[in-house]
Amino acid sequence: MKGSVEQGETSKAPLSSGISKGVAILDVILRFVAFIGTLASAIAMGTTKQTLSFFTQFIQFKAQYSDLPTLMFFVVANSIVCAYLILSLPLSIVHIIRSRAKYSRLILIFFDAAMLALVTAGASAAAAIVYLAHKGNVRANWLAICQQFDSFCERISGSLIGSFVAMVLLLLLIILSAIALARR
Amino acid sequence: MSAATVIHVDDGASASAGKAPATLSSYDTGRATAAAPIPTTQTQREAPGSGVPFLLRSGGDGLQGCMGLIDFVLRVAAFGPTLAAAISIGTSDEKLSIFTNFFQFHATFDDFPAFTFFMVVNAIAAGYLVLSLPFSAAGIIRPKATGVRLLLLVCDTIMVGLLTAAAAAAAAIVYVAHEGNLRANWVPICMQFHGFCQRTSGAVVASFLAVLVLMVLIVMAACTIRSRRRR
Repeated sequence: MKGSVEQGETSKAPLSSGISKGVAILDVILRFVAFIGTLASAIAMGTTKQTLSFFTQFIQFKAQYSDLPTLMFFVVANSIVCAYLILSLPLSIVHIIRSRAKYSRLILIFFDAAMLALVTAGASAAAAIVYLAHKGNVRANWLAICQQFDSFCERISGSLIGSFVAMVLLLLLIILSAIALARR
Repeated sequence: MSAATVIHVDDGASASAGKAPATLSSYDTGRATAAAPIPTTQTQREAPGSGVPFLLRSGGDGLQGCMGLIDFVLRVAAFGPTLAAAISIGTSDEKLSIFTNFFQFHATFDDFPAFTFFMVVNAIAAGYLVLSLPFSAAGIIRPKATGVRLLLLVCDTIMVGLLTAAAAAAAAIVYVAHEGNLRANWVPICMQFHGFCQRTSGAVVASFLAVLVLMVLIVMAACTIRSRRRR
C-alpha cells in the first residue's frame, strides 16, 4: 500500500509542480505588464499641457493635469502602484524558484489588494472627471471643456486605458495568488 | 463491566467535549476496543450541535472557528453601509425655492451619471453581501471547505474593485461640487444645494468604509485558506 501511494505521489508530482511553476510565471508576466500600464498612464497624464492661442481678461486658456486635483491624484496613485509593482517583481520571481513560500504569498496578496483599491480609485475618479470634461453637466451648469481643449482631452482620455488594464491585471494577480495558496 | 465503560464514556464526553477523542482513547486502555468507535461517533454527533466547545477547541481549530465567525460578522457589518449609501443617494432630491428663465434649481442623482453608477454598484454590493452569508456560514460549519473560501475570495476581490470604482467616481464628482474648478469654470454647486451635497458626501464615506471591510475580509480569507491547506 505504501509503494502504490508513493508511486501515485511521484506520478502526480511533476504535473502539479508544473502547474505551480506555470502559475508563478504567469504571475511575473502579468505583474510586468501591469507595471508597464501604470507607468504609461502616469507619464501620459503627467505630460499634458495645452495652451490655446487666444486669451481674454477673465479666463486663462491653459490646461494642465495639475489644474484638476483629481487628475493629480490619478498621477500620484499610478506612480505609487508602478513603484510597488516593480518592487514586488523580484518577490514573485522568487516564487517561481521556491514554491514553498509560507508568508510571502500572504503579504503579496495583502499589498496587491491595497494597490488594487488605490489604482481603481485613481482610475475611476479620473474617468468621472474626464466624462465631465467631455459631456459637461446641464443641471450644475458645468461646461464641457473638451470643446476647446482638444489634445488635452484626448491625452487624458487615452491615459485612462493603461490604468484600467493594470486594474484588471491586479485583480487576476490576486486570484492567481489565492489559487496558488489553495493548491499548496 | 460494560456499565463501567459506559459511565466513563459519558463522563469523558460531558466534561471535555472538545478534546474528547484524545482523552477517551486513554480511558479505554486496551480492554474494550469495541467501545472505542462508540465514543468517537458520540463526540462526532455532539460536535456540530454544540457551539461553545467548537470555539474553545484547543489549537488551530478554535482560531479557525473564530476567524470564520469574524468573517460572518464583518459581512453583516459591510452590508449596512452599502445599503445605506444606495438608499441615501437614491432618495437625494433637492429643489430650491428660486428659479430663473435659464436654470432649473433641481438636483437628483439622475443628473449625474457617476451617482447613478454609484447607486447601482452599491445595490449590487449589498445584494452580494447578503447572498454570500450562507457561503460564509458553510465555511464555518465545514472546516475543510477550501473551495467555498476560494470562491468567496474571488467574488470579494471583484466586489472590492467595483465598489472602489463607484465610490471614487462619486467622490470625484462630490469634490468638484464642493470646491468647483477655476480653470474649467465649474461652479461649486454645494453653495446652493446643501442637503444634496451632505447626503452624497455621507453616502461616499459609507461606501469607502464598506470597501475597507471587504479588504479585511479578503486578507482573512487568504489567511484561512493558507492555514487550512497546511494541515
